[in-house]
Amino acid sequence: MIDTQESLSQLVSEALLGEKYPIAKIISKIETEKNLEFRESLFHELSIQNPDSKEGLTIGITGTPGAGKSSLLGELCKLFLDFAPNKKMAIVAIDPSSNVSGGSILGDRTRVTLPRRDTRIYFRSQPSQLELGGLNPYTFHVIRFLRRIFDYVFVETVGIGQNEISVSLISDLSFLVMQPLGGDQVQFMKSGIMEVPEAFIINKCDEESLANSSYYMLESTLEFIKDILPDQSLPPIFKTSVTKRKGIEELLNYILNYQKRKDKNTETLTQLMQWIRNEYGRWGISIWEELESSKWNQAVKRNPLGGIQKLKYEEEERKIVSLIQTKIK
Amino acid sequence: MSAEKKEYLLVDENGQGKPDKPWIFRTYAGHTNAKASNELYRKNLSKGQTGLSIAFDLPTQCGYSSDHEVSRPEIGKVGVPINSLEDFRILFDQIPIEEMNTSMTINGTSMWLLSLYVALAEERGVPLEKLNGTTQNDLIKEYLARGTYIYPPKDSMKIIVDMYEYSLHNIPKWNPSNICSYHLQEAGATPVQELSFALATAIAVLDAIKERNCFSDDEFEQCVGRISFFVNAGIRFVEEMCKMRAFTEMWQEITTERYKVKTAKYRVFRYGVQVNSLGLTEEQPENNAWRILIESLGVTLSRNARCRALQLPAWNEALSLPRPWDQQWSLRLQQVLAYETDLLEYPDIFEGSKVIESKVKALKEEAKLEIQKIVDMGGALVAIENGYMKSQLVKSQTERLSKINSNELVIVGKNKWTDGIKSPLMTDSDGGIFKVDPKSAEQTLNVLGEAKSRRNADLAKKSLEDLKQAAKDGKNLMPFSIACAKALVTTGEWADALREVYGEYNPPTGVDGQKLFLSDDKVSTVRGKVEAFTKANGHRPKIVVGKPGLDGHSNGAEMIAVSAKHSGFDVIYSGIRLSPEEIVQSAVEENANVIGLSILSGSHKEIVKQLFDELTHYKAKIPVVIGGIIPESDFDELKKMGIREIFTPKDYDLMSIMEKIIDIVSVEPALV
Repeated sequence: MIDTQESLSQLVSEALLGEKYPIAKIISKIETEKNLEFRESLFHELSIQNPDSKEGLTIGITGTPGAGKSSLLGELCKLFLDFAPNKKMAIVAIDPSSNVSGGSILGDRTRVTLPRRDTRIYFRSQPSQLELGGLNPYTFHVIRFLRRIFDYVFVETVGIGQNEISVSLISDLSFLVMQPLGGDQVQFMKSGIMEVPEAFIINKCDEESLANSSYYMLESTLEFIKDILPDQSLPPIFKTSVTKRKGIEELLNYILNYQKRKDKNTETLTQLMQWIRNEYGRWGISIWEELESSKWNQAVKRNPLGGIQKLKYEEEERKIVSLIQTKIK
Repeated sequence: MSAEKKEYLLVDENGQGKPDKPWIFRTYAGHTNAKASNELYRKNLSKGQTGLSIAFDLPTQCGYSSDHEVSRPEIGKVGVPINSLEDFRILFDQIPIEEMNTSMTINGTSMWLLSLYVALAEERGVPLEKLNGTTQNDLIKEYLARGTYIYPPKDSMKIIVDMYEYSLHNIPKWNPSNICSYHLQEAGATPVQELSFALATAIAVLDAIKERNCFSDDEFEQCVGRISFFVNAGIRFVEEMCKMRAFTEMWQEITTERYKVKTAKYRVFRYGVQVNSLGLTEEQPENNAWRILIESLGVTLSRNARCRALQLPAWNEALSLPRPWDQQWSLRLQQVLAYETDLLEYPDIFEGSKVIESKVKALKEEAKLEIQKIVDMGGALVAIENGYMKSQLVKSQTERLSKINSNELVIVGKNKWTDGIKSPLMTDSDGGIFKVDPKSAEQTLNVLGEAKSRRNADLAKKSLEDLKQAAKDGKNLMPFSIACAKALVTTGEWADALREVYGEYNPPTGVDGQKLFLSDDKVSTVRGKVEAFTKANGHRPKIVVGKPGLDGHSNGAEMIAVSAKHSGFDVIYSGIRLSPEEIVQSAVEENANVIGLSILSGSHKEIVKQLFDELTHYKAKIPVVIGGIIPESDFDELKKMGIREIFTPKDYDLMSIMEKIIDIVSVEPALV
């Protein structure tokens, strides 16, 4: 058990060196129910041991089952080892859990073959634990942790329904992976998710003409909805093929050179809201909105440059829990 | 003598009684090294065996030379290791290949082995037209059931078509591929699945040949005539016989309707059989002798659908490799059936039987629907790549196991009449089983080393470069492979050259979305324990199911993965052919609570040692359990190495296995 400060600090220092078993143990602890206290000590310890800690770039990858996300990631890993010799990456792959037993089969590792004893790539599977939205309840905190150790943190989720795009809310850069002819233009527009990802990948472009026709179809669809895109410019579209090993270098270069970061405070806030909604539904949100006008929020507004520590949000999380619990009683 | 025709007798054109010629008697054999296997073959032939069926070891099947690190634990274990032409020279020493019917059970590297055979024939001055035999070369069943594939489906199919094109023009009596439904039944296929998946595979091969358009119409007909099948015969022998009759009729229909073959002899369904090993039990293994006899009847009784060649497993195959005596006993069974009984003197004895006819009709109808489904999907290759066929097989297998668990399916000695006197057959000093001498690998490695040092290095290098270039250009690879064989290129070098061009294939595991049909008390007991664990630890127990080594028989691992999920575990299962290092890396990164290994190749001791070395490297104390064909005599050693629990084919009750595993996990101190 990591119940003493001492052993936690040892685990953290080993984890910061990139040792896999300590990293794995810490993640398991984050994934354990009622872990707020542990998280507090963990992030506290991290900031002590590594005050100017790195903030790895988070890359969300989502798409329908069968779009070839895992194989694509596998290929990206191989290239990454050559292309970014001084960088490290982590992957968190989320698979659905069974409704009946609660168990799951996490098969995404199958597609990613890593060199043995290499510490530059770390792969972790996560069962979705019956959560809608494609994310596991602990994904966010696991990523927060991994960002401190790795330069790039990839999060792979399944599905592209309205609920399954949550991954883009906690990533700096998110991709929607599609197959050629993955749907007609009307379907794209109806799905209402075209404005969410920062970039698109048409995978399985094994055949040139099919790839191109899908590319132009997607491009014209995006053109059509350009007005409602965040910065009103067209997001990039990548054409990739794992079997022909095409387009993956370009994709990797784009990721390695990507500069724009999302505001981590907004991200934390989004995550907190989602947690409240999952846990307490609309009613919980209404309580949150009550809090919105509280003193604490005024403080945030007075400090627009985002100097608020994440720990403050954690405190808020605790506050709202006790508040909501008193309301329940 | 009356001139009256006797309906019940087989006669020649002069009306004289003339029984059928027996099928070809084979034993699937090969072990230790080329020299030992050569001795075995010559002995078997002298005992009245009439054909050779060569078993290759796993490195040879997977395209690795014996000196590759993954080969080491496997050299000579389940077949003969072949590294270069030098090994073939030794293997066929004093065996007249021009008179042999040689069957090679080889798939991913079949083109290479055929090239070696051709090179050997040319070296001996044997005209290629005289070579007679079969390379199995059915990649689809490898992706589905057996796991010794190398390249992606489309590239593998291209290699098969190359072999047809070359063989038809140069080795006309050779069967370049052999559609093998044998392993489908081993992996749980129902008769309908066996029929439909095998025929859909044959259609995929013939369609690919048609597409290349390399034959005239006449040549294409001959090519259809070269397609042969390798089938399994199970214990429900009446149904199995009907399956064989359905195969025969459906192949007639497909070749007539789809491929417009006019010549009758090219429409004949030609097949060889290995009877079922899946149903053989480790418990009371002597009962297997009767099972093998009964299974043989299914494929020999029915003259209209009688096999062309038969090979029988040995009574003790569920325990380990059979000894020469055990193989001899199996051969004698065939000889009794063919030479002592009157089986071969009669025309088809089931013609006109209402029961047989309607059963055949029912099987055909169901199989046709299934074939249509696969064809509509885009054919067998697509049904492999999208995981359809694999998931159907895993489903059938889980259903079968559920039935054994619930005693709905009776297996004598296993779930019924389990008490009995221990077999005296197993009390010999060798414990009734055969073990490969671990030192014998040295001989193989010496031959390999010598061949490499003696050859013209530049020529070997150039022939490999030519092979790669030909693969990139999409040329027929056979002539380039034969050139490699003559230049003493090794198996691993040949396979690596093509790996570079084609890449390696990693298929769907088929376990996603699978459900078990178990819902008895035991399941709730196990789920209760899993819930208790989850409550105590704040997260579900996590198991890494690992399939290390080169043996691709993944049924056991898949069943455990599905059962673990059924019990509420989070399961990491990444398919076959993983190194112990990869398995440990997964378990460490995922912080698994337990590692479950499945090993059937007999290499458990070597692999377990590698695995514990790797756990030590990470300072990880993760409990390890193991399942597979593991002789009791190895239990002590494995436990000393740190293995917590050992499961063998005797442990068929999935929930008992899961209960033992959750118990182990629950008493471990929490890992975090």
